[in-house]
Amino acid sequence: MKRGVTIAGLGVSLPGFRLFHRGSVARAVEAGRRCLADAGRRPTEVGVLIHAGVTRDHHVCEPANAAYIQHGLGINVEFHGARTCSFDLGNGGCGMLDAAHVLCALLQEGTPRSGMITASEGNSDLRAKGARPCPDSGAAILLELAPRPDMGFGSFTFHTRGEHADMARTVVSLAEARGRLRTHRDPGLEERWLEMAGPVVDDVLARDGITRDEIDRVIPAQISADFLARLPRAIGIPPERIADFTGTLPYTLSTSVFLALHRERELRPRFVGRTVLLLAFGSGLTAAAATYRYAKGAT
Amino acid sequence: MNDVRKIRIESLGAYIPERVLAMEEMLASCRRRPPWDLERITGIHECRVAVGEYAIDLAVQAARRALALSRYQASDLDVVICTSISKHNREDEFHLEPATAGRVAREIGAGAARVFDVVNACAGMLTGIYILQGLIRAGEARRGMVVSGEHNMPIARTAARELRHRFDGQLAALTLGDGGAAVIVDASPDPASGFHCLDLVTGARHDHYCYSRPSRRGPGGILITKARSLQRKGNEHFPAYFKEILDRTGWTLDDLDHIIPHQVSVRAVINGVKAVARYYGCPLPPCTRISADLYANTTTTSHFLALHRFILDGTVASGDNVLLVSGASGIVITHATYTFDDLPERYRVRWASGGAA
Repeated sequence: MKRGVTIAGLGVSLPGFRLFHRGSVARAVEAGRRCLADAGRRPTEVGVLIHAGVTRDHHVCEPANAAYIQHGLGINVEFHGARTCSFDLGNGGCGMLDAAHVLCALLQEGTPRSGMITASEGNSDLRAKGARPCPDSGAAILLELAPRPDMGFGSFTFHTRGEHADMARTVVSLAEARGRLRTHRDPGLEERWLEMAGPVVDDVLARDGITRDEIDRVIPAQISADFLARLPRAIGIPPERIADFTGTLPYTLSTSVFLALHRERELRPRFVGRTVLLLAFGSGLTAAAATYRYAKGAT
Repeated sequence: MNDVRKIRIESLGAYIPERVLAMEEMLASCRRRPPWDLERITGIHECRVAVGEYAIDLAVQAARRALALSRYQASDLDVVICTSISKHNREDEFHLEPATAGRVAREIGAGAARVFDVVNACAGMLTGIYILQGLIRAGEARRGMVVSGEHNMPIARTAARELRHRFDGQLAALTLGDGGAAVIVDASPDPASGFHCLDLVTGARHDHYCYSRPSRRGPGGILITKARSLQRKGNEHFPAYFKEILDRTGWTLDDLDHIIPHQVSVRAVINGVKAVARYYGCPLPPCTRISADLYANTTTTSHFLALHRFILDGTVASGDNVLLVSGASGIVITHATYTFDDLPERYRVRWASGGAA
């Protein structure tokens, strides 16, 4: 049986008014520091760092944003001694769950002992008011092998419908100096995501061999109040079991699921024996689902 | 429990655009021609240029060629990972989302595959293989494709337009070329062949030596490189990892049939060889393969375009031991030890019959 992988730490950089624009790297570093503090771990203990944000400071495409974040967090920044490898993984709003799946595999096959996933959004193109895909934010989780196989992440499922790929696009136009962020979201996007939600949930529950009744809480990306109002019907889980923070938490693209998980943890600090379903939706179009089991007494 | 320990490159696809651009032509296109003899300094005589094609097209062409050689159908692929840096998938556009891997998967008929992009500068394809190794060993995938298409000419054209002085940071952009590469990776049925060790390390204190972003002076993207400092720092550190991975594999220098480094330039590769020789205190066997002279620096795809060239000319044969070495901005140092199965033989037969063209 595979060893479970648990979230040892969770840190966020919440969206909200800031006097100065801080950028996606600063947001990820802030979330990463809080995540390490939450886990009680030192930066040197992180063996792999994966960054899953979409937007980048100054639209830099090389090196990996993860290298800047590794530097900012002081994670084994020099060669020799304890080592860390870092890279970016991109899949729009589903990137953090993709990265969690990859990191779980790396931990289970024994390469690193612990790894961090960060995601952040920060549009450095301050001229393009209409093009901002979401408010600035950051989220980070630290993953480690669980002491028992019945706790931590269960299965992951990713469904992609490539025929609708052009419904959600973010590009940097290079036709003018400094680049210009262009975001397109088709009006029918949420409808397509709702169509994908049911099958992806069916799939992940079947893989885990559990029923909808065994899901204590659903933590979805906080796409919109309307979307979350229609989600219960789409996935067949009652609305009281679905975390809806859209009144206070705007949609933040790659960080949304883990900002919602953080808010849920603040409001319900004891997740005793709970099974949680994480649900993300992104460009591609991709819907992603993962189950997570909290250990008894865990927070 | 999944008992896969080794993965292998089941198939390889390379796409090299037909249009050849000589270094002299590249220099002649500069608004202010640099005073250096860049061809002599770098050893790069020419590069390949994609005409009417973008990064996504180069990736798709390479992916199709990998499938043409493979025992698998596109629908058999569980994962497709795209590792392009230069996501110039349309004129004057750089793509952030959706994942380019999704479009590649759709074009080749792997619509059911899990898709995502990975960015790790020039170490991208080796990073993609590292990720697939993890997924296959953990039983989360049976096989997958790592693919990249690098359309670097827009960056070279910006450099040609904007170079201002002899030490301009954009000078290294003139040494870039276009190309596409893809590998299909699965569990190795033979424990003697496949990847023995695959190591990545990021020395993030050195993240400032090389970066790419939109130009502040006009349209287009730019690549800023402190080339000498980057090479000096890389050469200071990578020989220790070079020796470490050989030791972990149980190989000595004499076991190496080929060293395939990241093809930054001919000069950079030779300097790297000298750095390792200094570390060992003896010369390296003459097995370092250089393709930068004809293809220039094709960033993520460079190892696999070099393999393409040296498999086709008969230099690389089935059963050969290879060390892949990569130094990328970040700074990322990557090493992989690999023993070929029958892929070189199959590759030559396929190309001789025109099946991969």
